[in-house]
Amino acid sequence: MAEIDSSGGGKKGGGKKRSKKMSTKIDMTPMVDLGFLLITFFMLTTTLAKPVTMQLNMPDKTDTKETSPVKLSETLTVIPDEFKVYYYQGIPTEAGTKLEVTDYSDTGIRKVIADLKKKIGNNFTLVIKPTKKAKYRNMVDMLDECAITNNKRYALLAIDPASEDLIKRSGK
Amino acid sequence: MPKVKAKRQSVSLDMTAMCDVAFLLLTFFMLTAKFRPEEAVTITPPSSISEKPLNAKDGMLTISVSPEGGVYLATDDQLAREFMLERMASRYGVALTAAMKKNYMSSEIVGYPAGAMRQVLSIKPSEAKDKGFIKGIPVDSANNELSYWVGYAKLSNPNLKIAIKGDQNSGYDTFSDIIGTLQAQNINIFQLITSPENKPK
Repeated sequence: MAEIDSSGGGKKGGGKKRSKKMSTKIDMTPMVDLGFLLITFFMLTTTLAKPVTMQLNMPDKTDTKETSPVKLSETLTVIPDEFKVYYYQGIPTEAGTKLEVTDYSDTGIRKVIADLKKKIGNNFTLVIKPTKKAKYRNMVDMLDECAITNNKRYALLAIDPASEDLIKRSGK
Repeated sequence: MPKVKAKRQSVSLDMTAMCDVAFLLLTFFMLTAKFRPEEAVTITPPSSISEKPLNAKDGMLTISVSPEGGVYLATDDQLAREFMLERMASRYGVALTAAMKKNYMSSEIVGYPAGAMRQVLSIKPSEAKDKGFIKGIPVDSANNELSYWVGYAKLSNPNLKIAIKGDQNSGYDTFSDIIGTLQAQNINIFQLITSPENKPK
């Protein structure tokens, strides 16, 4: 039967009962392991979430001073749409202007820009006119292509009716 | 001559101090870590090969664009945040109470037309989000409130840098509206927040 021994540990019955001496030291190694594991985990997960940025400089609208003019023969106009890219050289209203269409892959618009840049040289200027259906991603892709082909001369413009007509006329 | 006996040394060492250090560091990192500001909508930025980190030394004004085209504003400059609210409220004739101000300061983003300001700020930010009040700031030419918000923020802290965080599937038209609004105020340098991508070749 369960019973509380209230005798006070006298010399009653058998020998003197001694409580076993326990060591006060615990092995801390696994706890240290856990601590450092958590530190490492938190440190790695916090540094990985840093965003990167892409700088976009737009021309100053209040500055009316004419800067160096760009020759039309040295420009390429690209019109990013949601899934494809139109491009042409020259004036959109002229009958001889040929509208081409390509995609966003490595061999698509990147090759076009790189080839033309090689042909024209340092004065090459890219004019970007996204369509009304274009997504933000498409514009960032085009700026990215400029960074990849190391082209520092580009202009971001709104699409004009002449270019829209050209797309409609070509039927692509 | 007595034989010299090598003293036997214990192999286990006291780990208590090391354990203390480990958990002290852990606590320190956890307490100093800044939580990511609450986003009204999930935004997936497009990827780019750019490797420039975000420069947020003198304060940052972040304009977010949701996939549906809603425009949201956030800033890490608390003084500019308060200044923006006071000016906007007085411009649109909204009487601010202490409770409204508290609700405003506890939510990270601004994303509602000025007409709905009283309604949104009278309830808790999480409640307003659940009720679908956080629809975005109007940026169209008829009612361009973003221009005032940004103008007041710049007035409070002229060194604020502008970052644009657009969802990859948001329309280009919203983006060009924002750029147009900012260019009208002679803000011509933007930082577009993107997610990293490997450089080809």
